[in-house]
Amino acid sequence: MIVDARVYLGTSLFNHGLSLTEITANMERLGIDKAILVPVKPCNYHLGPMNQLVSEAVKRHPERFMGLCRVDPWQAEAAVNEAQRGFEELGACGLYLDPWEENFQANNQILVPVLQEAQRHNKPVVINAGHVRVSHPTQIRDIASQFPKVQFVACNGGQINISGILQFEARRMLEACPNIVIDTAGTYREDFIEEIATEVGEGRVVFASGSPVYDQEFEMTRVRFAHLNPAQKQKLWGLNALKIFVSRSQ
Amino acid sequence: MIIDSHTHVDRFGWYDPPETIIRLMGEAGIDQSIIMTYVDAPDVKGSIEYIAEAFQKYPDRLIGYARMNPRRGEEAQQLFRKAMEEYGFKGLKLHPAGNRCHPARQETIDLIRLATRYRAPVLFHCGDEEFTLPLQIAEAAKACPEATIILGHCGGYFHTSDAVRVAERYPNIILETSAMPYPRLVREAVERIGAARVLYASDGPGCDPTIEVHKVKLAGLTADDQEAVFHRNIRRILDNVTLEAHSI
Repeated sequence: MIVDARVYLGTSLFNHGLSLTEITANMERLGIDKAILVPVKPCNYHLGPMNQLVSEAVKRHPERFMGLCRVDPWQAEAAVNEAQRGFEELGACGLYLDPWEENFQANNQILVPVLQEAQRHNKPVVINAGHVRVSHPTQIRDIASQFPKVQFVACNGGQINISGILQFEARRMLEACPNIVIDTAGTYREDFIEEIATEVGEGRVVFASGSPVYDQEFEMTRVRFAHLNPAQKQKLWGLNALKIFVSRSQ
Repeated sequence: MIIDSHTHVDRFGWYDPPETIIRLMGEAGIDQSIIMTYVDAPDVKGSIEYIAEAFQKYPDRLIGYARMNPRRGEEAQQLFRKAMEEYGFKGLKLHPAGNRCHPARQETIDLIRLATRYRAPVLFHCGDEEFTLPLQIAEAAKACPEATIILGHCGGYFHTSDAVRVAERYPNIILETSAMPYPRLVREAVERIGAARVLYASDGPGCDPTIEVHKVKLAGLTADDQEAVFHRNIRRILDNVTLEAHSI
């Protein structure tokens, strides 16, 4: 089973967008069984209606989609209320935080109330990681170590750097915090994915495309051609994601 | 036919002996690869010789670029001359994030001009870090219009638009596809500056050459443009390189 653990739904403020029809067609073409939908930040900046949109998609096609609830922690109590609505009314399987697009540092203490809410509902937290000034692996590690009972998913391999200079820090983050896994989208380099899966733990990596920011078909090649055995690949393709997002949702 | 314009062989930084890239070339169906270290000469003693030994061991498969630290001035220039004339290297690699030497500093310009005397291409690491930004490297391209300047990684994750823009501005800039994660950028580059100025590369062995080949194939180029990107362009550039320095 192939689970794409991060696909953005809607038209983004940042000049990209996919409709549910387009996402479904892409999944059918590429043989993806299930996708975890993430609301984009829309042109009007209002995340609530986007959470609603994701929820409606999941309710229409529960066999195909799960959805994350996205909040802006700068909204303080309103963010906590939206997270609560996401978990209790909208059926969200986790929380999505985007330090890059919502402009906060990943270990800023404004996150504490929304993370407490995720912990209260036993929901995983996906963080758009690797953006040096806001979601550096050290910052993800810092916040994750304050919430050891919360499962975190650090996007983009936990590091975005085309010199590879952040790989060491991302690995240290994973070794220090057993409650963090990484997703594969855009990861520099493929041997980092292999290294983490074989040396840190085959349960510590999930396939995600991050589309349409990244190309879904191309992102699949990172797992398809990985120098891993079939059992390890099965975990990356979907078993790890199901364990994180489905088991906790039930 | 595929020539990979940017790969690594090293025993000083990350450990990647030549056999690693040879194996991955086999998996990806790559005929030849341009190799370079992860470290600068002359800072790391023996790094030039290590690359020379590798391409002498696999003369039909591997081609060498000399990765140099321009800050070492005359010492770097002498070693580069030796690399070109005695060992048969084919190009210069610069990684300003590593040696903290701005692309437009006089030491860098001097080294680029020396490479140009051999008609050898200059491959820059071009990503998101300070001193490697496309607009910074463009200053070197402007100062050395006779040089062939290759933007490795095409601006990385966040500076790809700048990479294409400076390539439109300076005809001596070539874009190279390795490691950046956007197949659509390959197509955009071909559409905006022409297929003759785009090179396939992987940044292997860390970035899997098989995956990097797929990236170019996913760009949806015409068969002729794809051939240009996969081998014709870099072959044209390498065929122009000489063993002796010319005046410029």
